[in-house]
Amino acid sequence: MFTSQTLDAVLTGLLQTTLVAGLAPLLLGITRRTKARLQYRRGPSIWQPYRDLAKWWSKSTVESDAATALSSLAPALVFAALLVASGLIPLVAARPPLAGWGDLLVVIGLLALSRFVLALAALDAGSAFGGLGSSREVAIAALVEPGLILALVAAAVSAGSTDLGAIAARALSAGIGWYTPAVLLAGAAFAVVAVADTGHEPFDNPDTHLELTMVHEAMLLEASGPRLAVLMYAAQLKLIVVAGLFLSAFVPFGVATQIAPLPLMLATVTAVVKLVLIAVALGVVDAVLAKLRILAIPQLLSIATGLALAALATRVWLVA
Amino acid sequence: MTAAAEHTWVALILPAIGVLLSGSTLLLLGGASQRWARNAALALCAAASVAIGVLAIVVLSSNQPLEASAGRVLGFALIELRYDALSTPFLAALAFVGTAASIYGLGYATHDSTSRSRVFAAYPVFLGSLLLVFGAADAFAFLLAWEVMALSSAALVFGPAPSRSVARAGYLYVAMTHVASAALIVAFAILGAEAGSTSFADFGQAASALSDPLRDLVFVLLLVGFGTKAGAIPMHVWLPKAHPVAPSHVSALMSGVMIKAGIYGLVRLGIEMLGPGAEWWGLLVLGIGAVSAVLGVLYALMEHDLKRLLAFHSIENVGIILIGIGVAMLALTHGAVALAGLALAAALFHTFNHALFKSALFLAAGSVQAAVGQRDLDRLGGLARVMPVTTLAFALAAAAISGVPPLNGFASEWLTFQSLIGVVGSAQSSPVAQSAGALAVGALGLTAALAVACFVKATGIAFLGRPRTPAAAAAHENVLSMRIGMGLLVAACVVVGLATGSVAPLISQAAAPALGTPPVVGSAPAALTVMPALGGPTYAALPLGALLLGATGVSWLALRRRGPVRRSPTWTCGIAPEPAFEYSATSFAKLIRLYFSPILRPEREITVDRHPGTPFARSVHYRGEVQPLLGDRSYARMHGAVVAAAELVRRMQSGSLQLYLAYAVVALVILLLVAR
Repeated sequence: MFTSQTLDAVLTGLLQTTLVAGLAPLLLGITRRTKARLQYRRGPSIWQPYRDLAKWWSKSTVESDAATALSSLAPALVFAALLVASGLIPLVAARPPLAGWGDLLVVIGLLALSRFVLALAALDAGSAFGGLGSSREVAIAALVEPGLILALVAAAVSAGSTDLGAIAARALSAGIGWYTPAVLLAGAAFAVVAVADTGHEPFDNPDTHLELTMVHEAMLLEASGPRLAVLMYAAQLKLIVVAGLFLSAFVPFGVATQIAPLPLMLATVTAVVKLVLIAVALGVVDAVLAKLRILAIPQLLSIATGLALAALATRVWLVA
Repeated sequence: MTAAAEHTWVALILPAIGVLLSGSTLLLLGGASQRWARNAALALCAAASVAIGVLAIVVLSSNQPLEASAGRVLGFALIELRYDALSTPFLAALAFVGTAASIYGLGYATHDSTSRSRVFAAYPVFLGSLLLVFGAADAFAFLLAWEVMALSSAALVFGPAPSRSVARAGYLYVAMTHVASAALIVAFAILGAEAGSTSFADFGQAASALSDPLRDLVFVLLLVGFGTKAGAIPMHVWLPKAHPVAPSHVSALMSGVMIKAGIYGLVRLGIEMLGPGAEWWGLLVLGIGAVSAVLGVLYALMEHDLKRLLAFHSIENVGIILIGIGVAMLALTHGAVALAGLALAAALFHTFNHALFKSALFLAAGSVQAAVGQRDLDRLGGLARVMPVTTLAFALAAAAISGVPPLNGFASEWLTFQSLIGVVGSAQSSPVAQSAGALAVGALGLTAALAVACFVKATGIAFLGRPRTPAAAAAHENVLSMRIGMGLLVAACVVVGLATGSVAPLISQAAAPALGTPPVVGSAPAALTVMPALGGPTYAALPLGALLLGATGVSWLALRRRGPVRRSPTWTCGIAPEPAFEYSATSFAKLIRLYFSPILRPEREITVDRHPGTPFARSVHYRGEVQPLLGDRSYARMHGAVVAAAELVRRMQSGSLQLYLAYAVVALVILLLVAR
């Protein structure tokens, strides 16, 4: 059966997926450029990530002689998990491309899947660096996850649903009234944990290859050629997924509520602007914050978790 | 034996199972050392397990309880059975794990001395007792089955010739299981006295007639009794000791099914019989669940013995199940019946799922131990190349228990999260319950992330990288029967995960009668919906899984088309790679050990033996240990208190006949005064 509704869903799905897939490397370029400018460097062009991906894609693959089939499967699986996750997020239209397939918990689950596979693949080559990155990644993720979930649950409880489309719709209808103390606190908490989850300063330095400080990069150290390209691209997609979670729960304004050419165009422009702003903000954070000692990370993340709990507390105890 | 059911052939199922199990026991008593006898008995056990599965299907689809009874002694029923919808998730778990473990046992016996001794006659008895526990409809019959279950599994833990450490683990298990039984006997006595019968059917009414303090007491006793069996913290000490020393397929049954008897009892008696209670009941269960989940996974992360690690994960998962049960109790108290149904369905679904993946993991761990003769993670490594089937089974089950979509663990954790969010957001909840729910959301999130960490560690260190010992390098894949056993359970994990949209509504149907509600988990085609009447959120496992698989396949093919892959040694800064360079189980968990040191309280001791008169070390010894909260030390203190109390009581026992006569007289006088 081919109703107009499915046609709309397919169209918005194609639009959003093209946007996400096309924009992902650009956001990294913008973040790097912002960082460079704030450090009085010219920095590489904002298009450099595309060139890097093309370069890696055309190179040949070298893998460790200790590696198993996981090393070739992992990039594909990590990429697929993040691509599917992006389809659950209402970035352009209030109804996400895969509406009804999963809520915010499913997005978090897909992020966990990508982390599980990536951290496991990092141990495949039997290198010390892989173990280093893998163990750090899962430890930091353990501190990130409670804050991430609690912040989103605060938004979900305010909206009365864990469905991201429903949350966005509810926020749109509430207007400025959406920003209750609970949502504001939860938004602040999410911002902190999202920086940790996407591997930016002060938690991880995405530009380093110094073994003492690597987290995400250490896990990719054994990947080369097209596999490296796919894994780097997946990391760029992850930024959009996490940013998309933030936008749909806390700043959904601008998404299209009806499927027509003009609203969709406006919504696309708004989405691009919001994502670029986030990329610039990450560049600023990268430039002005020094990396935390790895043992000091729990302090900052527990503050974020505390903020998220406070958000729920205001919801429970202040709202009658 | 009589049976009341619509179809007469259904009445044949129970006797058939009985015949199969007793037949296999007889065969085993005849000689478990004889290969043919053992194999015939295990085949009968597998057949009986399949019959148990049929029983579950019949009960659920006919929507009518199946009743049977046999053997009355002095008016007490020895076997008094009533299988209703609530029994079915447990029966299904028993069917899957029983079948897989029995098939696995065919090949595993060559590696396991217990399987070749007469003690193994306890195995079919154990299976049979589990079947009885999940259907007993009478306090006496329940306790009888309960004790047989405890003793038969204890016999399998001890084995034919227990070493000192095995015997200690076994005795601890027996002691704890009797503490549990004692608590249950007192609770049943209170209920039975009020009801004037030992039948569970009368307990519901009796419970509502009890005074509040007495009902509270019954609840606490039930929680202690069933919580101990389930391995909930703080009654968990026996579990990580007893489960690892049992043969692996028995560990699978113990972790996958037996500890669920505690969950079953708590739901059957704590929720169905006692009904809505005080708010602190639900808060207590929720708290115990959250603490068990977080501490269970943290202690699992600190382990490097593969089976002990898995045993601690059982504590974690029982915690997740108890979170669901706690929410169900809170919601019942607040009168939010739909939410209670959702939470109980989440708990029962996770119970079933945990049976599948935890048993698969235990069977895979047994396969590793059989092949390498070791289960210390730091002496394994690189098994993926020599044991591909075991590796795949372990990795898939590890992904399932880590709660990643589209596998089954995620589906039930998703429902648990939904029920917690329900209690936080519900207008019917009290602020205290809402706050507790919020804290539990955080705890469950932490648990899920730590479980990912732990199973990356277990899978990566044991199966990937380079072999750390010659034994690990020389390992080879096990026989077909063991692979079938593991494969069956892992396939079930995948299928149940993808078919969540069809399975979860069935579980919801099983949970509903215990609460007197209509099922609250509905299914759009292939999708799982929470409270469809309210238009709740959905999770469409099947399309999501298909899309995931498709996208993975396409990108994998695209990667393959990029040309040949050159293999070369891992770069280790110019020296030849050695296994010692790899991260070990201990170093992998180091950061988490440091992050959670206020809870874990790690102790380390480094002794350096130097050449005399020089600063140069001759040898360095490292010893690291984690002291569990509420672990051995708190129990040692409790044990000391019990012994001291016993010493005090012993003073009454002077041995003098006159004194005993005086006691008798005093007791008589008191009795006459009381019973006047």
